[in-house]
Amino acid sequence: MECVFGLVGDGFALIVADTSAVNSILVHKSNEDKVMVLDSHKLLGASGEGGDRVQFTEYIQKNVHLYQFRNGIPLTTAAAANFTRGELATALRKNPYFVNILLAGYDKDIGPSLYFIDYIATLHKIDKGAFGYGSYFCLSMMDRHYHQGMTVEEAVDLADKCIMEIRSRLVVAPPNFVIKIVDKDGAREYAWRESIKDAGVAATA
Amino acid sequence: MKLDTSGLEAPAPILGGIDDLSVDFAAAQSFDLPGCADFDGFQKDAVQMVKPAKGTTTLAFIFKEGVIVAADSRASMGGYISSQSVKKIIEINPYMLGTMAGGAADCQFWHRNLGIKCRLHELANKRRISVTGASKLLANILYSYRGMGLSVGTMIAGWDEKGPGLYYVDSEGGRLKGTRFSVGSGSPYAYGVLDNGYRYDLSIEEAAELGRRAIYHATFRDGASGGVASVYFVGPNGWKKMSGDDVGELHYKYYPVTTTPVEQEMAEVPAA
Amino acid sequence: MSRRGDWVYENNGGTCVAIAGADYCVVAADTRLSTGYSIYTRDYSKICKLADKCVLASSGFQGDIKALQKNLSARHLIYQHQHNKQMSCPAMAQLLSNTLYYKRFFPYYAFNVLGGLDNEGKGCVFTYDAVGSYERVGYSSQGSGSTLIMPVLDNQLKSPSPLLLPAKDSVTPLSEMEAVDLVKDVFASATERDIYTGDKLEIVIINASGIQHEFMELRKD
Repeated sequence: MECVFGLVGDGFALIVADTSAVNSILVHKSNEDKVMVLDSHKLLGASGEGGDRVQFTEYIQKNVHLYQFRNGIPLTTAAAANFTRGELATALRKNPYFVNILLAGYDKDIGPSLYFIDYIATLHKIDKGAFGYGSYFCLSMMDRHYHQGMTVEEAVDLADKCIMEIRSRLVVAPPNFVIKIVDKDGAREYAWRESIKDAGVAATA
Repeated sequence: MKLDTSGLEAPAPILGGIDDLSVDFAAAQSFDLPGCADFDGFQKDAVQMVKPAKGTTTLAFIFKEGVIVAADSRASMGGYISSQSVKKIIEINPYMLGTMAGGAADCQFWHRNLGIKCRLHELANKRRISVTGASKLLANILYSYRGMGLSVGTMIAGWDEKGPGLYYVDSEGGRLKGTRFSVGSGSPYAYGVLDNGYRYDLSIEEAAELGRRAIYHATFRDGASGGVASVYFVGPNGWKKMSGDDVGELHYKYYPVTTTPVEQEMAEVPAA
Repeated sequence: MSRRGDWVYENNGGTCVAIAGADYCVVAADTRLSTGYSIYTRDYSKICKLADKCVLASSGFQGDIKALQKNLSARHLIYQHQHNKQMSCPAMAQLLSNTLYYKRFFPYYAFNVLGGLDNEGKGCVFTYDAVGSYERVGYSSQGSGSTLIMPVLDNQLKSPSPLLLPAKDSVTPLSEMEAVDLVKDVFASATERDIYTGDKLEIVIINASGIQHEFMELRKD
């Protein structure tokens, strides 16, 4: 089942997500990248129904880009989070999107930040957070081991602890995870944690 | 919500109306909706009434030479087999195939619609649409109808400028790029055979046989799948039908009947 | 659109059969119209001539069937005015499919069989579900008695599947006379076991010389 989690460290934020595309008992794919690089300094990790997840995150991405093209400056992470929340809230009373989101970003004057937005449009600024069945394991793990000003090595180590816990304790544990990082140098893929190889071909174009 | 009815317009304007009927023939066609209070309930009952084909096995995979697409041919309404000769592999154009799982009418209609859109793209841009583009067209249409009860689980397979392409698209709006997919009630069985026999460097003949075998084993275990196992191959020169075999006969090809000598005759059990 | 009650359907029963031959097509349906245990009428035709070489047999809800027949007839009239010719049977088949699908979210409760001759003069039968999925076949049965009749037709007429490769010749191996006799037999049998089938059988035969009508009495109990 779906697991998305993230945390803020010293000068960076990190998002981890499983990479399984599931349909009832079937795993259709185990290399589906669910962490979108929203713009140069933002990451958007999403969990939810396949269609809603892709359609909504692409919609947000295109609008964030549009803002930047029109105004010449990018949205701050806080602004992007509030925009995303607003769109979810508007949709909620018509045809809700079933997506939960972790939005991580880095702003020059503010530093790294992480926002939690769920499908009923709750917005919250957090240091660490998680969604899905994996959250039961990750949250306690992060409560225990998280501290202010973690280095990248410490944070990735903690992420690996969470992944190992999920793999060993969750019944329907996804095999593969992707870790992405955003810091002053931008948003980028950091590493994959794969226990099963999917034949060739990278994630959805 | 706005329904997407583009591409459905009448080709030529029709003059003059017919008073006898309350249907406006001059207007562009659009989907008629029931005016009842409980649309969801109505929809559920109406779908139950005309229950379309549900059970199916379809599969597709990319390998060295191109894409193999295979499917069974059974359509059932509950326990009744309504057809044994359904064409579940839909020929969108000479370079692209779609597969059919879920509602027969939904698949047939929207694939035909997709075929029209692909042809229009070709005429407008002087080049064929990519598999990526075509699958996204379909996914966006289906997504615009989400929650209205469409039932489609399809794979779009083809060959474009970038080589072989394969996408899974469903009526929940899901769209996945991949190298190996199977859809339908028989798909877990098909996956079992497919995953086990798959290699990237399969020859065309070997790959076709793998597809055929996977469909055969799915029809053997899944009651809602059966009929004819059709196998298509899509390569740089477009698609080609590789085979169509009655799975009833395929069974005896794979497992010829051998008469074993009777080792022991049945004997009366002595009364206790 | 006007406001309707929540449920607007009724099943009026009835059975339709069509068989395509090399140069003919037989379309047949009983003429009983009923609801539940009561019979409305014993003489209601379920067959509608849409074009010179194209007839439609439908069972299901009479109201929807009538609306569908009127719709198709009107569209065919417009087609004739625009093109000055009769619509071909395969064209009518696609039109019927689209007409049914446009009411995907508020379906016509109608199960149709379309029979006629194609452009080469060969018999053709198209069979449908209520929302427009269709298929060209050699023979078909729809409606309340279809589950009784279809297995018998399979037994008598089944030809190699058109999906087979290498392809095998698949023409209904019956003469026109034999096909009509078979239709009479299957209806007589279905009448024995289906309460929605009976009273009278209407048979329409389409061939190069035009359309012929024939009737046969069925059990009336």
